[in-house]
Formats: sequence, C-alpha cells, structure tokens
Amino acid sequence: MAKEKKESVIESSLKRKYKLQAKDVNVFYDDFQAIKEISMDIKPNSVTAFIGPSGCGKSTFLRLFNRMNDYVDGFRMEGKIFIDDQNINKKKVNVELLRKQVGMVFQKPNPFPKSIFENVAYGLKIQGLKDKTFLRERVESSLKQVALWDEVKDNLNKSALALSGGQQQRLCIARTLAVEPSVILMDEPTSALDPLSTAKIEELIHELKDKYTIVIVTHNMQQAGRISDYTAFFYLGEIIEFDKTNKIFTNPEKKQTENYITGRFG
Amino acid sequence: MTNLDQYRESLKQSGLEMFELCEKQMLKSKEAFLTHDSDLAEEVIHTENRVNALDLKIDRDCERFIALHTPVAGDLRFVLALRKINFDLERVGDHAFGVAKYIIEINTPIDLKLLENLRFEEMYDSALSMLDDIKEAYIHDDTKKARKVYKKDKVLNKININAFKVISEEVKKDPNLIDQYLLLFSIIKKIERIGDLITNIAEEIIFYREAEILKHQKKKKVRKPKE
Amino acid sequence: MNNIRKNKIKDQAFKALGMLFTLFGVSVLVILIYNILRVGFTRINWDFLTSLPSRKPEEAGIYTAIIGTLDLMLLTVIFAIPIGVGAGIYLEEYSKKSKLSSLLEINISNLAGVPSIIYGLLGLGVFVRYFNFGGSILAGSLTLSLLILPIIIVATREAIKAVPPSLKEASFALGASKWQTISDVVLPSSFGGIITGIILSLSRAIGETAPLIVVGAMAYVPFVPHSLFDAFSVLPMQIFNWTTRPQQGFAVAASAAIIILLLITFVMNGIAVYFRNKWQKKLK
Repeated sequence: MAKEKKESVIESSLKRKYKLQAKDVNVFYDDFQAIKEISMDIKPNSVTAFIGPSGCGKSTFLRLFNRMNDYVDGFRMEGKIFIDDQNINKKKVNVELLRKQVGMVFQKPNPFPKSIFENVAYGLKIQGLKDKTFLRERVESSLKQVALWDEVKDNLNKSALALSGGQQQRLCIARTLAVEPSVILMDEPTSALDPLSTAKIEELIHELKDKYTIVIVTHNMQQAGRISDYTAFFYLGEIIEFDKTNKIFTNPEKKQTENYITGRFG
Repeated sequence: MTNLDQYRESLKQSGLEMFELCEKQMLKSKEAFLTHDSDLAEEVIHTENRVNALDLKIDRDCERFIALHTPVAGDLRFVLALRKINFDLERVGDHAFGVAKYIIEINTPIDLKLLENLRFEEMYDSALSMLDDIKEAYIHDDTKKARKVYKKDKVLNKININAFKVISEEVKKDPNLIDQYLLLFSIIKKIERIGDLITNIAEEIIFYREAEILKHQKKKKVRKPKE
Repeated sequence: MNNIRKNKIKDQAFKALGMLFTLFGVSVLVILIYNILRVGFTRINWDFLTSLPSRKPEEAGIYTAIIGTLDLMLLTVIFAIPIGVGAGIYLEEYSKKSKLSSLLEINISNLAGVPSIIYGLLGLGVFVRYFNFGGSILAGSLTLSLLILPIIIVATREAIKAVPPSLKEASFALGASKWQTISDVVLPSSFGGIITGIILSLSRAIGETAPLIVVGAMAYVPFVPHSLFDAFSVLPMQIFNWTTRPQQGFAVAASAAIIILLLITFVMNGIAVYFRNKWQKKLK
C-alpha cells in the first residue's frame, strides 16, 4: 500500500508540467463575448507575455487566473481554469486563499495611503500574522527583492505616496511578493512609468523568473521581446498564436501575427 | 548586468570561441603539414563539423538578439560586425580544413628545401600571428591592434607574388616536382586568402568601434577612435 | 467693436459683477455679526455662562441651555453615528445595484431636505407619545438623530465613493475579504470625509429649534437635567424664548446667547473644514 502511494506522488509531480492551464474558456459580459474558446498551458518559472490590440481580451483573460473578474457586473465564464492541476472555479475553492497564491500588479501603481512598511506588510496582516520580527524580516526581504530596500530602509514609516511613480510600482510588486505567491500576474505594469523605471522593472522581472511563474500583459511589443519566454497574440477575444517568443518574433506562423508584430496592422 | 548586456556578453564569448577554434585548426594544419602527420590532419577534418555547428549557432543567436532586443547604436553595430566576423572565421576554418585534406590526399612528405625557397613557414607564421593579433583586438575592442594586421598582410602578399616566380623557375629546373609545387602553390593561395579574411575582420572591428566603414577604401587612413 | 474687445469687456463685467455679489453677501454677514456683538458682547461673563435662567433679565444665564445642548449633541451622536455610518457602508459596499437601490438612494437624499418640523411631528408621535418617553432629552436626541441620519448616510457614501477603486482592487488582489478591505483600506481613507459629514450635520443639529419645540423642549427650565427622561432646553430655544420677552435686558441676553451659539457653530465648522482638508491631502 505504501509503495503505491509513493509512486503516485512522484507521478503527480512529474505530471505537473504546467503551472497554469485554461481549457476551452469562454467569457461573457452580459451578451458580449470577450473570450472565445481559449485553451492555454503555461509552464512554471517562465515569463509569458500577452500582446495584441486594446480591448482584445488580454486583461480579461489574465484576470481569470485570480478571479478578479468576479467583481464585474454581468461576468460569466465557461470552461476551466487550472492552477497546479486544481480547478479554481469550484465552489469549495477559497478565493482569498487563491489570491495569496496568485499575486497581481496593476497598470497604475496603487499603493495604499499608508506607510511603506504598512503597505508591504498588508498582505501578511490580513492573514492574521502579527509577530513583529517576522513582519520586519518579510518586509525587508521583499523590499530587497525589488531593489528598494537601500532607498527606503531609513524611511519605512514615510507615506508610500511620497515615492516616485517607479518606486511606487516597485513597492506594489514588493507588496505582492511579501505574501510569497507562486504566480505573479502583471497587467501592463510599466505603461504608466518613465523609461528608466521601466528598465528597472524589466530587470526585476528577469530576476524574479527563477522563483515565480509570471504572466504579463503588455502593449509594448519590444518589451515582450525583451523579457518573455513565451508570447500569446490576442485578437478580438481569440488567441491567434501562442509560441516561444523567439519564434513569434523571427518567424511567426500566422500572417496576422506577422502583420501585428511588424506594425502593419490595418 | 542587464539582460541585454548578458546576452551581448554571451554573443561575444561565442565569437571568441570561434576565433580559438579556427586558430587551433590553423595551428594543427600547419604542424600536420610540416611533419606530414596524417593523424593530426584527420583531427582537423573531424573538427570541421564543430566549426560549422558553431557558425550556425552564432548566426542564429545574432538573429535572435536583433529580433528580441531591437539593438541600436553600439549594440547594433556589434551584432552586425559579429555576423560578418563569424562568416570570415568560418572561411578561415574552411581553408585550414582544406590544407588538412591535402595532407591526407598526398602520400609523400614535401621536400623541405622547397618549403624554404617559398618562405612557406614564414608565411604561415605571419598569418597565425595576424590571427592572434586580431583575436586580441576583438577581445579588447582595440582598433589600434586591429590596424596592425594590414602591415603583416603586406608580407603575405609579397610572399604570394614571389611564390609564382620561384615556382616557375624551379619547375623548369626539375619538372618532376611539379605536383608538389602545384600543391604548395594552392596552399600558399589559401594562406593569402586567410590574410585577406583577417583584414576583413579588422575592418569589421573598426566599423563596430568607430562607426567608420573602411571597406573599399585606401587602408592607409588613420582616424582617431571615438571614445 | 471686434470680437476680442467684446470678450474682454464681458470678462471684466463678469468679474466686477462677481465681486459685487460677493461683497454683498459678506457685508450682510459683517453687519449681522457687528450688530450682535455690539448689543450682546458686554453681557458675556462667567456668571452668564453658569447661571440658570430666571424671570429677571440681569440674573438670567444660559447654563441649562448649554448643558442641554451638549447633552443633546452627545446623545444624538451616540444614536446617529453607528446607524448612519453603518447604513452608508452597507448601501455603498454591500447592496447590489438595482432599480430598488437607486430608488433608495434618491429617497435618502430627499429625506435630507425634508423640513425639520416634520421630524418634530414624527418624534412627537413615536418617541414622546407611543414609547412614552415624554418631552425628555431622550426623545429630543432620538428625533434629532433621525433628522441628521440622512446627512450622515449621504456623507458616508460620498466619502466611500471617493476612495479610488484601484485601492480596493489592490486589497482584493492580496487576498483580503470584503470586510477586511472595508475596514483596513476603505474606512481609513474615507475617515476624514465621514468625520466632516458628521461634524457638519451636528453643527446643523445644534441650531435646530422647530422639531425640539414640537417634541417638548421647554423654554423655561430652571434646573439642570439629570437623567435621560428629564425635561431640557437648548440654546436656540433659550434665545427664542428671550426674544419674545418685552424687557430690554432679555434682548441683550439673547444677543449674548446668539454670540455663544455662533461661536460654537463656527468652531465646529472650522474643525470640519480642517479635517476635510487633511483628508483630501491624504488621498492625493
């Protein structure tokens, strides 16, 4: 009996080729269909970029993985979303727990009007973690990961709103990392930032890849080329092509993809 | 180091690998020829696969670098130069491979006096030293070192031109040696070509560093490097 | 005359008119305050503040009225804040957007505009008669609570609405529950706005006379109320009463009481403005 159990544990960890999966997903907002029959498999410890024109469903699809669409009126979904082989839409799934596993960084930096320390510690405090030493350590390590620690370590009690835009965004990333998710979803994280801050955050994403699975929606194709391993091209709610970034940018299969990448989009 | 820098550094390393590979091929071919060592020659022939594989890899990596990182300015000139350098080095390796093939095909060793008349070893050594110079220039982005090879190339050209005269005289003296002389003549041509390829590489390095195109120009011009 | 000149003239004219109207409003206020001060300022002393009302104008004081006003405000706050803020949070955060909820929203705003005497009648029927609280502080404060409840609800809702949805999103994305988001992010951010609303509604309640008359605030209460069920008086009532008396002494006393009342109102509004400014700065 014990031998059988051992085998299935090994089997299941081998089977877990994919961190995130979507199977035959359709999304509706009342009568409007935002996502049409999308299936996708995302490998762990990779960076996947979603590119495509505005309004083609990239953000909607991204938000399926942490169920942030649940708050939108009229939202309805068909199909299945799996994280670590678990269907996240089953009734027994605790959404709050899910979101501790799957973090999200938004387009416009949105730190809370609290101190820098309080911002990073927020995700831990809502879990009931109160031990001061633990919080301090976790805040320090998160801020170090985003290369903010040296800049703010003497001012942890200063308001987060006093930081520059790029620093605020890095703070928001630190806030997400503090909860130790395994997946990080990013919805155009650098589109509101200046080029220097953008470069810093791209470097950060490159470093985070070793420990996290990252999915990033971006309007900037060059950014997708620079930082992602895989790229999915969305158009009008469908995925036209999903492949290694290198392939998409040197020799895409579909003409539509090529037209978009080369800027010839009608 | 940023992601871009890491990628560029790795491209540079691949280029260096190609330099060393082709340098070794040339050294081995020279030794194999002078000592008529057919085993060494076989080694060179066998290694030609690695040279080709590396050539393809560098080509692919350059394409990837351009597609994914959209390099501009210095980064762009670097990758464009590397593609050409890679191409030239592959030809150098090819010539070394050709010499090794001759060794296998010809059974008898070459008369040492002939080699001396033609200043064969001197020519080969010149070419090898040019390759070493240009490798150093590549590693250190040193355009001054790169320009050194032009002078040495003149030696190669001189020996090449001289060879024709010497051979036509010697063949009249002893027509039996014509096979050997023809063989030597081919190899001398190859080495002269290697010299040209190395000066091409020098032009690429100078273009990359100074954004100046020396191709098809008189090589005497000396410009101050941009820094 | 070409267009540019015409526009310039219109511009100057509007500017001049605006200044005139502002000056008018300000000067009315100034004249009012000056008159009151002229008549009543000298009357104000410690005796005035600590004496009970009396039939003799020289001995009359506003002690009961002040105590009554303060007690009333305290009780009103205790009743109105939990209900008002709670209702505001519920309506803004928990109730689903539907035809019913929009109807509710409109009606609550309407309630804020209902004449206060209607609330007085309501209070009379429900608290004074039906529950038998009589003309007491309890009935009075409950009535005033009803009066300011809509204001607090609307202020709470507006303050919550002003919190950027991006902050709530951030909180949810970190795994916070709805209540955690409300208590840790929304309420702290809207705190200033809610406080402002509460203070403003209180400063309105302080000046209410009509509903309290209906409920039974007495004009002549020569003792300090001790329990919730005692009779009481408030400053506006006292002022009203004194102005109906013929003696000149009472007119002076009334002016003095008005000064005190105005002072309290100004201070409360000042605090409200201070909090509102602090709150707006925080949200930037």
